[in-house]
Amino acid sequence: MAPKRHAASTTSAAPSAITTPAAPKLSSGPATLKANASAAEIAQHVWHQYSSTTPQRTLLLDAFMAFLVLVGGLQFLYCVLAGNYPFNAFLSGFGAAVGQFVLTASLRMQTSDSGVGSKPSSKGKNARFADEVEEGTGTSHERAFADYIFGSLILHFFCINFIN
Amino acid sequence: MRWCLALLVCCLLAAVNALSSSGSRLLAVLEDTDQKDLYSTLWADLEARGYDVSIESPKSDQLALFKHGERAYDHLLILPPKSKGLGPSLTPKHIVDFMNKDGNILLALSGKASTSSAVSSLLLELDIHLANDRSAVVIDHFNYDTLSAAEKHDVLVLQRPGPLRTDVKAFFDGEGVLALPRVAPQTLGGESTLLAPILSAPATAYSYNPKEGVPAPEDILATGSQLNIVSSMQARNSARFTVLGSVEALEDKWFSASVKTPSGTETPTVNREFAKQLTAWAFKETGVLKVDKVEHRLATEGSELNPSIYRIKNETVYKIEVSEYVYDKWVPFELPGDDELQLEFTMLSPFHRLPLKPIGRTETSTIFSAQFVTPDQHGIFSFRVNYKRPFFTAIEEKHEVTVRHFAHDEYPRSWVITGGWVWIAGLWAVIGGFLAFVVVWLYSAPVADKLKKTQ
Amino acid sequence: MHLWQATASFCLLAATAVPGVAASAWGFTDATVAVQPKGAGINGGFKDQLTPSKPLASPVSLVGADTLRVILTAQEGSSAKRPHQAFLLLKDGQTGLDISYPFSVKDNGKSRVELTQKDLPIQFLSLSNPVDARVVLGGFGDSTAYDSSVFQLSIDRNPEEAVPTVETERYGKKPEINHIFKDSASSPPIVITLAFVAMVGATIPVLAGLWHLLGANVSHLPTAFQSAPLSHATFLGSLIAFEGLLFLYYTSWSLFAFLPAAGVIGTIAFVSGSRALGEVQGRRLAGRR
Repeated sequence: MAPKRHAASTTSAAPSAITTPAAPKLSSGPATLKANASAAEIAQHVWHQYSSTTPQRTLLLDAFMAFLVLVGGLQFLYCVLAGNYPFNAFLSGFGAAVGQFVLTASLRMQTSDSGVGSKPSSKGKNARFADEVEEGTGTSHERAFADYIFGSLILHFFCINFIN
Repeated sequence: MRWCLALLVCCLLAAVNALSSSGSRLLAVLEDTDQKDLYSTLWADLEARGYDVSIESPKSDQLALFKHGERAYDHLLILPPKSKGLGPSLTPKHIVDFMNKDGNILLALSGKASTSSAVSSLLLELDIHLANDRSAVVIDHFNYDTLSAAEKHDVLVLQRPGPLRTDVKAFFDGEGVLALPRVAPQTLGGESTLLAPILSAPATAYSYNPKEGVPAPEDILATGSQLNIVSSMQARNSARFTVLGSVEALEDKWFSASVKTPSGTETPTVNREFAKQLTAWAFKETGVLKVDKVEHRLATEGSELNPSIYRIKNETVYKIEVSEYVYDKWVPFELPGDDELQLEFTMLSPFHRLPLKPIGRTETSTIFSAQFVTPDQHGIFSFRVNYKRPFFTAIEEKHEVTVRHFAHDEYPRSWVITGGWVWIAGLWAVIGGFLAFVVVWLYSAPVADKLKKTQ
Repeated sequence: MHLWQATASFCLLAATAVPGVAASAWGFTDATVAVQPKGAGINGGFKDQLTPSKPLASPVSLVGADTLRVILTAQEGSSAKRPHQAFLLLKDGQTGLDISYPFSVKDNGKSRVELTQKDLPIQFLSLSNPVDARVVLGGFGDSTAYDSSVFQLSIDRNPEEAVPTVETERYGKKPEINHIFKDSASSPPIVITLAFVAMVGATIPVLAGLWHLLGANVSHLPTAFQSAPLSHATFLGSLIAFEGLLFLYYTSWSLFAFLPAAGVIGTIAFVSGSRALGEVQGRRLAGRR
């Protein structure tokens, strides 16, 4: 079912050291970048690093965020092209996309860093230990997700209230 | 309690007020009370119209315009005194106070003798001016009575005045000619809106002091229509002050005289009729307006009457019923000529000023109405009808209302506005995407695991 | 000149003869009207003879600082005499305005009057048509007074100068005022709106496609429902119900209908969600996520 490329990239990402997607350039990926690399090369490298080191669950989350950017961008473009009447509808429609994006970004922050941490658990580390580490550093993924749902429902309520 | 009292007062007033809309107690001030027989027809006419005429000399001790701080008379008719003043109880201050308390005054002057300085200073307070030497007479070599003033030309023979302007009702018009012997002319100050001439001299008339010879050009104060024979001042409280230049015109002799102009034939005067018109107007038998009812409401059927709050852009109907008093009864008021009764919808300045159109009449009043849309501006507005016209008592109606904004549930729903569809779609797309994301997040198995399994 | 005087007096006689009155009538002779521009000599400018019987054919123009001068000799019958009234009367037929300027008269009847625009009332300055200039002569006794138009006076102004106006307030109707409403905001063309709606709608399939590419699946759904069927069904159902509630609130419900329902569904979602997420956590800790 799953495309081969992604399957390959996830497997190749497995042995790499702890890497955050926010700073893939600094990581020592499978291919190292030369000092005089061109812009295209850098971009290609960054993309490769990102797609190879990000867990699949976080990629799904990123896809959702991309969708929100697209929806929000379309709404903003429409506002620029066709005027902002009725303004409250624009605010709530656009605000829903932006707010959902922010909430999703928070969820990503709370789940992606320890998402890598969860990998070792799948590799046979002590699950109990991983859980304790999580609880020591912050909230669990599920708690973060519950907060995310709570926040989203409130956001939707406000937007619907405001769109009239 | 107060309501009962008001009703009682109304009943009493109705019983007392046989005629004038503002009381029947008339004081005629005549310096030499023996002369009252000269005006016997006038007194009889006034009494026949329901006035309670008391004739007093200004020298009389009993004479007082006020009793216990209230007016002792409703109307005052002052015939010209020969002495310097009108005595201690009729100083200009007393007379102005009398007007301030809604008393009406008819002041007659005479060109026979010079006008007393007290009268002159009283007139000056009202911006009505007499000639400098206070003894001028109006002369017209074209409109004089050849029978009685063949030599001196000082008995003017004039038509009764028509309307002052096309939008002013003529209260003093009619057929026939007036004889106006020895008129003391008045000129009116130009700045006052309260002054209105009733009868002006013809264009060829001029004034001069008969004690002097041929007037030098610089002595001629005013000529033609600037000279007023009868003028009026209606104060802001609608109290009336009327000046008649020729007291002799009220004498019995001139009520029944015949006159002849140089170019005309001998005709009887209509002085008696004119005296009736003049005293009726001066003592508020005519030209009195009253607002019976004011209504405003939304234009929709069955809406609340006179609500205190409106919304912006509401279609609103305003109705006002106006009566006019004509001699002895209230009749439906009719707008003179091309005049308009105007409604203003005002916050600081008028947002609307619209003509009120007559839409119907009751037995005693005309119903005027206007329909308009409240402005798209919220605030405290007032419906104002401010009808002030020459010779009519003032109408000042002000009804304050609040104009509010749209309430939150009065705006059109978002899907009604096509422009908002994109954002509505965006919102629901986000919500749908969110639900799908929840499912995916909860139940998506890691692909790597799956691959491992397949491997 | 003599001929002219003879004609004039003849005309006067003819005029007075008509009423058939024995008494004599007032009239004038030797009359001239002159307009002297400012600074010009005594003989500069316009000058014309006046006749008592007939006004001048063309209007006399009085411009700017010019001085209008009318000189005449008043006569009672045919003898020069000082009248009691000797006026130059300006009269406008349309507005009914009138104003008189007295002649300065000598005992021998010789009269003159001078007039500039400064002497005129402001109301006269804004008249468009020429006004009627009349001579009025009269006296006591039974002599017929004279009042007749002698010329038309056109009060012309320098077009560059503003006409002074009088702003005296008089009671009367005021100009009508109608409130000008702000333009109501209008929606853009429906085509643009529909195109964007379609584009926004198309983002959902895009998201689905993207997830498909990334290998999203719902493979754990059976697992989850096996281990905690009630809590998962309730949790998912309450979330969908909550969004449905929002839709009802959007279309028809009032806030006070929505809030209690939202409270109930929120509580259900909270209780079931904590269990369902516990199961999810169990799966994660088991390394299956």
